[in-house]
Amino acid sequence: MQVTLENVTHTYQPGSPFQATAIQNVNLTIRDGDFLALIGHTGSGKSTLAQHINGLLKPTQGRVLLDGQDIHAKGYDKKEVRRKVGLVFQYPEHQLFEETVAKDVAFGPKNLGLSQMEIDERVKEALARVGLSELDAEEKSPFELSGGQMRRVAMAGVLAMRPQILVLDEPAAGLDPQSREDMLDMIASLHRQGSTIVMVSHAMDDVARYATRAVVMDKGAVAMEGAPEEIFRHGETLEKMGLDVPSVCKLGLQLKKMGLDGMENCFREEQAVSAILALWKGGKGHGAE
Amino acid sequence: MALNNITLGQFYPAESVVHRLDPRVKIILLIALIVAIFLAQNLLAFVPVVLFLYAAARLSTVPFPMLIKGLKPLRFILILTFVLNVFFLQGETPLLDLGFTVIKKEALITAVHYSLRLVLLVLASSVLTLTTAPIVLTDGLERLLSPLRVIHFPAHEMAMMMSIALRFIPTLLEEADKIMKAQTARGADFESGHLIQRAKAMVPLLVPLFVSAFRRAGDLAMAMEARCYHGGEGRTRLRVLKCERRDYIACAVMALLIAAVVVLSRLY
Repeated sequence: MQVTLENVTHTYQPGSPFQATAIQNVNLTIRDGDFLALIGHTGSGKSTLAQHINGLLKPTQGRVLLDGQDIHAKGYDKKEVRRKVGLVFQYPEHQLFEETVAKDVAFGPKNLGLSQMEIDERVKEALARVGLSELDAEEKSPFELSGGQMRRVAMAGVLAMRPQILVLDEPAAGLDPQSREDMLDMIASLHRQGSTIVMVSHAMDDVARYATRAVVMDKGAVAMEGAPEEIFRHGETLEKMGLDVPSVCKLGLQLKKMGLDGMENCFREEQAVSAILALWKGGKGHGAE
Repeated sequence: MALNNITLGQFYPAESVVHRLDPRVKIILLIALIVAIFLAQNLLAFVPVVLFLYAAARLSTVPFPMLIKGLKPLRFILILTFVLNVFFLQGETPLLDLGFTVIKKEALITAVHYSLRLVLLVLASSVLTLTTAPIVLTDGLERLLSPLRVIHFPAHEMAMMMSIALRFIPTLLEEADKIMKAQTARGADFESGHLIQRAKAMVPLLVPLFVSAFRRAGDLAMAMEARCYHGGEGRTRLRVLKCERRDYIACAVMALLIAAVVVLSRLY
């Protein structure tokens, strides 16, 4: 399944004094199996872009195509888009409302009109996926949970709809390091199991670690697109946009300043470790001479 | 679906004499003007009121269409008032024979009178809200109501509550929009179905909204206490309201206006 954004422009409150163009002329294709990272400074239009992928926002200009069909065309069933493309908002725990965890997770599948048996099964599966199978979902109120657990329940609520594409808006924002790690591992495992992932993120380390493709947004337009390795090569351009490079890249630059080459092509921790090891061994050999 | 096209408050920022008037004076002037509008017993007596409003609107530099926009929500009531009065009031002088009914001159005059009264009331309050920032307005209200403290009326607390409410309306609207979108993404439908279904569909929106409102209220209370807020007792203010020459002039003009209205009402 493939989502294509064609020349998408979105203007908030057009015609009013508060008119603001959030994204302009964006062209983007999300292919099956992608782990796409949407990177950009605050206000660069990432979230607006994310909301176009499942048809929550209608482009002011341009089209959004799902498998070649315009999702805003007359007669196209929007529910179809919502079923195929799941969207997890920033701080999704703020959307919980039901009396029990199970009922909350069941909200999405229920809206799809599934049978009770199917719903129960999906709820169980979704909760297991987010690592909450131990929870007494039938009894516990979502408001009694910890922040990290609440977020996982909210994620389960989207996963229970079994979307093929999962769009996540800063899924790890505001979590403690452990929950953060768990969250990202969970997303990575969903990707491994075949889901297409679109993740809005500020954290370049995460992008380097998980993404297969990255799109950099700047002032509402796509500034760069490509594999994370390629994008992080343009550290200076990224910095100009108020963005960062992974900490591994920073280390590489520091070492370069000290006259130690060999880390130019490192973006992930494991790459850095082997490069540093090589440097160290080389250095020691040099010293022994 | 999107709630972001709701513009809240209608304050039109500008630098004009009317904007700079003391908010207390403006509130009193509005009340006086409303009294004058009700004192006017005939159409001629409306002339000074209309002139005054016209002058105020011109001085305020608020564009005319913005002023008129305040009338829009009232158009049905206006038309209804006018039509009901024209058709159902009794009179002596027939004016127009429509076959099924005869429109009387007295009925027409009364209809115009009542409609005009409504229009003027709305325009008068629009001039106030267009030229006074909500926060300044609550400040003015607080000061006007503060003498009531002797009968234990919580003027400061009321004003504080009003300013906080005003401050948080856009925030909550934004929040509501976000939650609505999040639930829509989960297949919720806020737009179709009959009344009861729609009311039920609001639950996934309202519960998180209330939860978040309470959370915000808790945070705000904490932040206020952390800055030693303890109510209005002994609190000094950033903006000290002071009446100036323009305020006295405005009051004098208003006094003349009321006198003129009373005299013109008696003339007939």
